[in-house]
Amino acid sequence: MASFARSSLLRQTLAPRAPFLQKNVGVSQVVAFHASAKKQILPPLPQSVQGTMNDPAPIPETHPSEGSYHWSFERLVCVGLVPLSFAPFAAGSLNPVMDAILCSLLVAHSHIGFQAAIVDYFPPSRVPKFRATCNWLLRAFTLTTAVGLYEFETNDVGVTEALRRIWTA
Amino acid sequence: MFSQKVAQQSLRRLAVQQPLAMRSSMMGASPVAVALGKNIQTRQVTSTPNTEDPSQILVKQRLNRPVAPHLTIYKPQIGWIGSSLHRITGVALSGTLYIWATAYLASPALGWHLESASMVAAMGALPLAAKVLLKTTLALPFTYHAMNGIRHLMWDLGRGLTNPVIIKTGWTVVGLSIASAVGLALI
Repeated sequence: MASFARSSLLRQTLAPRAPFLQKNVGVSQVVAFHASAKKQILPPLPQSVQGTMNDPAPIPETHPSEGSYHWSFERLVCVGLVPLSFAPFAAGSLNPVMDAILCSLLVAHSHIGFQAAIVDYFPPSRVPKFRATCNWLLRAFTLTTAVGLYEFETNDVGVTEALRRIWTA
Repeated sequence: MFSQKVAQQSLRRLAVQQPLAMRSSMMGASPVAVALGKNIQTRQVTSTPNTEDPSQILVKQRLNRPVAPHLTIYKPQIGWIGSSLHRITGVALSGTLYIWATAYLASPALGWHLESASMVAAMGALPLAAKVLLKTTLALPFTYHAMNGIRHLMWDLGRGLTNPVIIKTGWTVVGLSIASAVGLALI
């Protein structure tokens, strides 16, 4: 058979469809679809699989003291702080009991707030050591703050009275 | 020329209708190939041993998952900006309390003077503008955090959780907190 027939016709009919043609179509479609540039602002961190790859992601065990009790306690402290932030200044300060309650609630509120920030920003799966460090640092600082406030209440004029004097100085 | 075209056309027709016939008629092995035993097409069936740890496949796939974009792509809205400010002001206020109380506890050892009398004296020595500026800097985070905190408590009761109300109360808190902070600073 003539070679001219072999060269062009056979290639077109018998050979599988040219792969580069299909690929080209695909590329142009993808380009048209992704009109905006790809912006990967935060690259993914190193990944790891716990257990085998067929296991589901582990769900931490729930406990009321980290859930509903914690939530209610948090809200009770907040609600208590609302009158206590205004009452001493409105009624005149130098009431050691009110001062003590205010300081206790402030320390509890601050501790819970810092804890929430640590939980939000330092997940244990990503930065376990840093999170543990932060938690221990927070506990230490909460302790020194509580003792410091106690010292100030017992040896000085108290938080509200001191704030009033500084404010009107 | 004409006969060539006729041959081409019939060949094309054959190729379209009976490709298998074309293959057998036109791609028949040559006698040399048959003699050499190369008339049969063979494909090597080899399986590469999988030396890769299969658990790493998923780890690699996870790297290709979409990543959450950063804050700058979102339109600034009172909802999330106000929420961020609530946490920022809270951390700033509590951080001030923690640092001051801890420093007060450590002051005898360090020789610092953080008792009320010296702080009042230091504040009184400042010029008026500095006083107002310092008081505003202290009061504004407090008023904002306190008022926005009341908004949060309302949400916890299930009230005011629609978008228009959230926008309205958000701006109300911004205005009230600035006004009350300036008022407190001018006391």
